This record gives sequence, structure tokens and C-alpha cells, in this order.
Amino acid sequence: MAKKDLQEIRKIENDIYELLKTVMDPEIELDIINLGLVYNILYDGEKDVRIEMTLSTPACPLGDAITDNVKNTIKKKYPDYDVDVDLVFDPPWDASMISEEGKIKLGM
Amino acid sequence: MAKNLHTDNAPDISTVKPHFLFAAIGFLVLAILMVLSNPYFFGTYYNHHSLAVTHTAVLGWLMMLIFGSLYQLIPVIFDTALYSEKLAKFTFWITAFSIVFLVYTFWVGDYVVLLPYAATSMYLSLFFFIFNIMMSYKNARIKNFKSLFILAAVFWLLMTETEGLLIALNFKYNFYQASHLYHLHTHAIMGLVGFFIMMIFGVGITLIPMFLISHHLNEKLLKYAFYLLNTGLAGLVLSKYLYDKQLLIILFWVLIIGGIIVYFRYIYESYKRRMKKTLDVGMKYTMLSLVFLLLPIALSLTMIFVPQLGMQAYAETIILLFGLSMIFGFFTTIALGQTYKTLPFIIWLEKYQKLVGKFHTPLPRELYSEKVAGIQFYFYMSFLILAFLAIILSLKWLMQLATILFLIVSILYNYNVWKMFFHDSEKYVNKRDKEILNN
Repeated sequence: MAKKDLQEIRKIENDIYELLKTVMDPEIELDIINLGLVYNILYDGEKDVRIEMTLSTPACPLGDAITDNVKNTIKKKYPDYDVDVDLVFDPPWDASMISEEGKIKLGM
Repeated sequence: MAKNLHTDNAPDISTVKPHFLFAAIGFLVLAILMVLSNPYFFGTYYNHHSLAVTHTAVLGWLMMLIFGSLYQLIPVIFDTALYSEKLAKFTFWITAFSIVFLVYTFWVGDYVVLLPYAATSMYLSLFFFIFNIMMSYKNARIKNFKSLFILAAVFWLLMTETEGLLIALNFKYNFYQASHLYHLHTHAIMGLVGFFIMMIFGVGITLIPMFLISHHLNEKLLKYAFYLLNTGLAGLVLSKYLYDKQLLIILFWVLIIGGIIVYFRYIYESYKRRMKKTLDVGMKYTMLSLVFLLLPIALSLTMIFVPQLGMQAYAETIILLFGLSMIFGFFTTIALGQTYKTLPFIIWLEKYQKLVGKFHTPLPRELYSEKVAGIQFYFYMSFLILAFLAIILSLKWLMQLATILFLIVSILYNYNVWKMFFHDSEKYVNKRDKEILNN
């Protein structure tokens, strides 16, 4: 696969960002982007996508379901890409990371 | 790759599921027994029908639910897998048999021939459970006050069961000097405070902030609550055997109540800092149950001061109210709430984990009927109010009405539990896909 230029890379990263707005945290019932769980979206311009994200608590029993959802959602649109999800807990997530839109949705 | 997730250690659903099913059936049987045993509510609280009802409630309903939930939560609380799932499955069957055997024995009032065997069988089954939890703790990567609460609860379960077995054997071999009633009190206090409160508090420390989504809580409070509760309880039990003086009993009750209040402080902090402002039906039950715990606290103080208050004539009514407020006001309320918080997620993970992102999937709360859960909530509150009034006013017809409401609650609860178990994910996905195509 030929390496894409920077503009195209940003475009795909933005597209993935929008796609991840459909991935819900099943307990909080808000998407992971507005929750502020996604720290970084990195696309190498060829076929590797790496998502750096966290969970609302390290003990979250739904962790696998959320990361599977991230992978499946991206692969549904980009079936040839390899998607890697890196879970990081530094910085730990807290409510200040929720977007303004998310706060409105949660009634905060 | 996502690594070190707690779901890696999650037990197979076949280990957890039967406990929730048994508990749901146990809850229905409890309601039926309550309707049938209505006249006995107004006699002595230790008659054999009341003992059958109490043990159905605490073992068949509450303990089975705790076993199932704990197996699921061990990876979250201890950060390790359950020591043996095979042992957990074996324990389920022997526990289920023992509960049925024990409740039947109480119901028919056979204390001499059957009870020693039923109690021994119960003791063995609980021993397997305790062993499994202790061995899991040995491998735990998280050892803090949260996990210590669980460990302490398991210790008090062993003590409760040992006392229970000795009482049962004493009916045949008659070795106790004091009356059965005296030992029954210790058995009940260790079970209610030592096992159930300690276990619910221990699990609640992890679950309540997780469900309310609150962070940065003062964990020192947990340490104080732990020491106060356990010192108070150990003191109370020891003083019962060694030096039964009212002043000491008051002191130890004050420590226990202090522990509960400190724990409340922690939960209140979590509630105040919660991100989820609107409480769903499960959390409504949970928060309300903690408020209801104030009632047995007040009644326990009243029990201590019965002679000073000149209320000897009401002693049995107060004990009955204490039991009712503890088992139904607190334990059952929180159990009903937490079923709606944990079971939908367990079933959802089983049915949808592989489908998320590929198809439209429902939310866990969509697996049961929220409308039915809401109606169940109001019936349950009505039952509690009527049952209390019936005992205070000594009105049998009112108690009959309350138990019928309770039966309706158990039917509604079972409806939702079975609806979750029979949820057909394939049918849901196909239906949604057709809807999307049609739109």
C-alpha cells in the first residue's frame, strides 16, 4: 500500500475520530470521544492505526467490549487496516476530560 | 493490544449464571413461603416457619446472589482470576442441595433427625466457597482495604456457619449450657453484620463509585470503617461468650454503628461527586437501601435499652422489626438494585461482546424491561411500608396484603431476570438490520 501524504493522513485520522463517536461506553451511555477516553489517534499513512485510549476506571469490567468495539468499528470501514488499541492509565481519566457536549448529554 | 484487562480474568458465564437463576427462584419461593406463613409472623420469631423463611431469604436468595456476583467481581477486586471455576460449579450444586434440604428441615420442624445432616451439608458447601475465595486472595495482585472487607466477610461467614452447625448439633447432643436462643442471637448477628453487611460494603466500595462514576474519594474512611466494624463485632461476640455485661455490649454496638456511619460518609462523598446525575432504577434501589439501613441501626439501639425503656412487652416485636428492616429494608433492596446493575452487563457481555462494532447492539439496560423494573420498585416500597405497619399494629390482614405485594414483586423480578436470560441476540441484530434497511 502506497504511503499517503500528510493531508490524507489527517483526513483519515479525522474520519476515525468521527467513527469513534459511535462507540459507546455501555455503562455511562456516552460515546468514548465525548467522554474523553481517547487520548490519541495515530495513522501511519499505510495500514497501521493505533488508538491510545483509557477507561473510566482501570477496573472497568467492560474494557474488552469497548476496545473490541473500537477495533470492529474502524475495521468495518477500513477492512484492510491493522488496528491496535493501547490502553493507558497515565494520565488517569477524570470527569474534567468530558467535552462540553458530553457534559450536556450527561446532565452535568 | 489491550493488555491486563480485568475481563481477561473474568470467569466463564456458566460459573456465574446458575447463581442468579437460583437466587431468582429462591426469591419467588421466599415470597410463596411468606404468603403461606403469614400467621406465624406474629408468634415468636424463632418458630420453625419463620426460620424456614429467614433461611430462604438469607441463603436461597441473598447468599446465592452474593456468590454469583462475587465470582464475577473477584477479578475486579483482587485483580486475579477465581482460584477454581470447577470448584465454584461444584460448590453451587452442593450449596443448592443444602439450602433446599435445610429450608425443608426448618419448614417441617425436624430438629433432631434431619437438622444435623442438613446443617453439616450446608457447612461443607460454605467451606468450599470460603476455600475458593481464600485461595483467590492468595493470588491477588490488589491487597487493600477493599479486598480486606471481602476477606473479613468470608471469615465471619465461617464463624456464622460454625455457630449454626453447633446449634443444629446441640438439638441432638445437647452440649450447650445456655439456651438455643442465646446462641441464635450470636449466629444472627455474625451472619447479618459480619457476613452480609461486610460483604455488601466490600463489594459496594468498588461498585458504587464505579456505577456513579466518582473519583478521588477519601479511602482512609474505609480503613476506619473496617476497624470499627470488625472490632465492634469481635468484641460483641467475645463478650457474649466471656463477659456478658450490658455496658460492653453497648460499647461494641456503638463501634459497629460508628463503622457503618463512616462507611456512609464514604458513599455520600461518592454520591456528591458523582458524574452520573440521574440515577437509574438499579442505583435508586442501592442508594435507598443505605438510607433504610438507618432503621435497623435505630432498632438495635432500642433493643439494647429495652429494659431501661420499660419495653419488655415489645421486645419480640422490636426484634422482628429489626430482622425485617435488615433483611428486606437493606439487604433485599440492595440485592434487587444490584441485580439490575450487574446481571444485564454479564448477559450483555456474553451475547454482544463479539458483535459490538459489527452490528447495532442494544445497551445493557435494554435487555430487561425498565417499565417492569419501575413498577416492581413501587410495589416493593409499598410492601415495606405495609409490612412494618402490620407488625407495629399487629394486623394479620395487613401482613397478608403486604406478602401478596411481595409475591407480585418476586414475579416481576423473575420476569425481568428470565427475559435477560432468554434474550436472543441474533433475533435482535436481524430485526435492527431490517429496520435500518427499511429506513
